[in-house]
Amino acid sequence: MLFRRIYQFLIVYIIGILLLLMIKTGLSLSDYVIPGVALIVETTGQVFKEYFFDVMNTMSVTILGQCLSIIMAFTVGIAGRKSSWIGSFIKVTAYNIQAYPIVALAPIIFILLGDGFIPRLLIASMICYFPLLLSVLGIMATPVKDIEHFYIVTGRMRWQLEVKIRAFENLSKLTTVISGSATLAMAGTIVGEFIAANAGIGYSIRIALYQSDLAKIIVALFMIGIIISIYQGILETMGEQIKARWSISKKGEVL
Amino acid sequence: MKINNFIFWLLLLFLISTTNSFAKETKVNYRLKWLFNTSVAGDIYADAGGYFKDAGLDVDVREGSPEKNAINELELKRADFGVASADQVIRALDKGAKIFVIAQLFQINPMQWIYRRDKPEIKTLQDLRGRNIGITFGGNDETIMNTLLAKAGIKKKDVAITGVRFDFTPFFMRKVDVWPVYRNSQGVILKDRLAREGEDVYFFNPADFGVNFVANSVITSQAMLEKSPDIVEKFLKALLKGWEAAMDPANEVHTLEVVKKLDKGNNNLIRKKQLNATRNLIKPSASIKIGTINMEAWKQTEEMMLKEKQIKKPVNIYTHLIQIK
Repeated sequence: MLFRRIYQFLIVYIIGILLLLMIKTGLSLSDYVIPGVALIVETTGQVFKEYFFDVMNTMSVTILGQCLSIIMAFTVGIAGRKSSWIGSFIKVTAYNIQAYPIVALAPIIFILLGDGFIPRLLIASMICYFPLLLSVLGIMATPVKDIEHFYIVTGRMRWQLEVKIRAFENLSKLTTVISGSATLAMAGTIVGEFIAANAGIGYSIRIALYQSDLAKIIVALFMIGIIISIYQGILETMGEQIKARWSISKKGEVL
Repeated sequence: MKINNFIFWLLLLFLISTTNSFAKETKVNYRLKWLFNTSVAGDIYADAGGYFKDAGLDVDVREGSPEKNAINELELKRADFGVASADQVIRALDKGAKIFVIAQLFQINPMQWIYRRDKPEIKTLQDLRGRNIGITFGGNDETIMNTLLAKAGIKKKDVAITGVRFDFTPFFMRKVDVWPVYRNSQGVILKDRLAREGEDVYFFNPADFGVNFVANSVITSQAMLEKSPDIVEKFLKALLKGWEAAMDPANEVHTLEVVKKLDKGNNNLIRKKQLNATRNLIKPSASIKIGTINMEAWKQTEEMMLKEKQIKKPVNIYTHLIQIK
């Protein structure tokens, strides 16, 4: 799974670079518009180490942000699964917050939290949590009638059991969404670094953009892509293992 | 007789239609560096005032943004003319772009720093010591400030440098003392907002301390200059005529009217103040003709960028500056 992720990314990246180089050659563009291979290689040599540590910095916030968003999505999802007034209120609030563009919220985040690690973490989790929330809400709001009916009629149904049943029955969906949300968490962290940080790969990309330095951006994209592929590969492998273990432990057992 | 009349009218109609098609205006695309606002009043005025039309040009004046880079557009042939800052031009030349500067719009760089009057005035560069200075890392204000600090022999540890963005909150919250602004746009807005809070401000202009980093200029491609020098000349004459008219205090009301149609973000009073500030930067004295290329300032800009390692080798910038008479 892990290696497949990496070589799939490399294929996409190389195709992208080749396409850019074809456009560069076809339209006789200078290195300012699209850098040539020599410039990309030279820039890689100059910034590789710096960008590697930047991406790792971003990655650490991404992982924390994703964990935070998973907690947020499950909390809101579980609280909002009921079709009661409070449930719908939580859902509407969660949806509305997501509708606000992060750049518009940035000044408020800055006033409240300053410039640095916390705003990055918050923005990363805000961007990442919504798709997670939609899935969690969808799963938690849909009863597994066959199983739940038994517990309801025997009077043993509690909310914890309800959540457990629905999560277990949709484990495959949940692990796919969680591993997929890693890219969103990464994107969220990078956006956070763009608008409210002095560290991370998003911050370095912002500087490169100011200088119209596409070679640096291409190197940054490579670093981001490769690291996120590894992370997603690890998450998917973990998901497969959890599914395999649970499916074994579920055999013949009552929940 | 009737047939003769008919043929006469037919011929006349044909002549009119063919004359019209010959007189068709030449289509030209012009990419600005930033959004429509008072700092591009001359560009707007040249279009709205019919100066381009009079020159036989149908100019599509397009807004710019950080992503819409005029140099890229020239190379991709999506624009024929554009506005770019000196650092963009020099970086592009360093990477082999074939572009030329045909007019320098700002004689004084609008990139300056704002600070409150309750702080001591910066009379010499030594007065920067101990201040918390905002800079946009990677922006040309970083190059300018580094040059100023080096000129004064001030080490980085003698000042506090804070990275800034579009959001002014750290300045309002007094976390940063000296904040980089475009003097004629953000500078006016910030000054106005602070005045409403009973605070007055100073502007720190690097040019007052001998650092002349060139700002926005009009550029075109080498291909355009070689293939259509007549269009280049017509375009530039019409554009500078528009700028002269827009900066003329006698036309202030009309200028503000045409800017207002495109700039929805500011009120009339702010636009008026922005126009006054822009006038001082574009035409600092009556003797300076708008569009004049300040060769020495360009050379200094190149030297600064070379020293800051923003370019790898000298680009001999003066060979890419064309002062069209």
